Amino acid sequence: MSGFEGFEKRLELHFFGDDPSNNMVKLGLRKLDFDCIQHTLEAVQCTVVSAVGNSYFDAYVLSESSLFVYPTKIIIKTCGTTQLLKSITPLIFFAQTHLNLTLSSCRYTRGSFIFPKAQPFPHTSFKDEVNYIETTLPSNLCFRKASIMPSKSSSHSWHVFTATKFTAATTTTTHNHPFTVEICMTDLDRVLAGKFFRRPGDGKSGHSAGKEMTELTGIGEINENALVCDFAFDPCGYSMNGMDGDWYSTIHVTPEDGYSYASFECVGNDDVDIVHVLRKVVQIFRPGTISVSTTTAAATTSSVWRKVVGAVEPMGLKCRSCAMDQFPAEGSVVFQTFTPIRRKKCTLGRN
Amino acid sequence: MAGSSEEGQVIGCHTIEAWNDQLKKGNDNNKLIVVDFTASWCGPCRFIAPFLAELAKKFPNVTFIKVDVDELKTVAQDWAVEAMPTFMFVKEGKIVGKVVGAKKEELQQTIEKHVAAASA
Repeated sequence: MSGFEGFEKRLELHFFGDDPSNNMVKLGLRKLDFDCIQHTLEAVQCTVVSAVGNSYFDAYVLSESSLFVYPTKIIIKTCGTTQLLKSITPLIFFAQTHLNLTLSSCRYTRGSFIFPKAQPFPHTSFKDEVNYIETTLPSNLCFRKASIMPSKSSSHSWHVFTATKFTAATTTTTHNHPFTVEICMTDLDRVLAGKFFRRPGDGKSGHSAGKEMTELTGIGEINENALVCDFAFDPCGYSMNGMDGDWYSTIHVTPEDGYSYASFECVGNDDVDIVHVLRKVVQIFRPGTISVSTTTAAATTSSVWRKVVGAVEPMGLKCRSCAMDQFPAEGSVVFQTFTPIRRKKCTLGRN
Repeated sequence: MAGSSEEGQVIGCHTIEAWNDQLKKGNDNNKLIVVDFTASWCGPCRFIAPFLAELAKKFPNVTFIKVDVDELKTVAQDWAVEAMPTFMFVKEGKIVGKVVGAKKEELQQTIEKHVAAASA
């Protein structure tokens, strides 16, 4: 069987400028011409479907997932058969030549593809990906580590590569959100997944159909203060970015039966009610398997992963595995997987 | 009606006076006004700008106004603009619609809806 690959590849790049009084550092990457962004997205093979900015950052919904641009940080996440790693070279080039910003750290993460054989180079294997990044990055990002974090199931592993020029964590910059949570869900509840299909000939734009899905599914209740930029694809599928000050969240849904997938990601700190957020996410999708990867900035000792268990287990899910790893100056990653305690009996054949 | 030089263009308002003038002119002519609240530092605003210029050509009977939220801070505050770009649709002095974000399809559909309502 083949189908759309829901699992995203995710790249986070941090830049710095030598002259902090330079206006470029204040606005930084947000000053990049749209041509530069478009050129980068062409290399990855996706396009912008909607976008919005506030005083902290710009958020783009892409034909395949999302892009976030902060003054010195870019997060780009793409699904399907996109070639995400091909964005590294153009981004480094544009940041350097247009803004005089240089790359200081890089983090690449992904789950396990449902259809690994459909992936083009360099995403053909984690080994190929790591080789590609290693040769693409400037040599001064010399503290590097690649790791495959396991779960009990060989079909769910977490792949992490980090590289940085710093020997220790640099907390001088705004670690306003010391942790990032990346959630991957497969085998979604069929009825709930069905809400991410459009009615044929609804006459709506992808934006207004997306807005309707945000309301009907409860996604809007994850953070009621957030401005949501959403989009519904034809005939099915959904993407959203949420923005609340400098906080972002993002959801992507591939609802087709047989390879249904949804992801949720957000940053967090003590002010973010991560328990509420996680419970809402579980309620919206009721997945057969959920993995939660929590990346925590090096300087903070975190027990976010304990909160994750406390949030998710009362929802009828059980923690089946928990792996932890440390990355040079980039902090720690905890990878947890959960499945339902009791899987609902198949109700096929019943009226 | 003779076409003015501003017809088919996105008109930048850099002062409060220019802004008030344009609003008044649009309201007096009973035209639909589309206000684009934009910022120089906002990437999505640069993404949508060429499309807005196309729409201005396509809908010569609609007035397109561009306001930089840093230049006309008080206007942006009065209109409660928090995210960029924000498009406000004004008819007879009233806000009749709003699109937050660079959403090409939504923007065009909203203009078409209000233009149709005006000619109905």
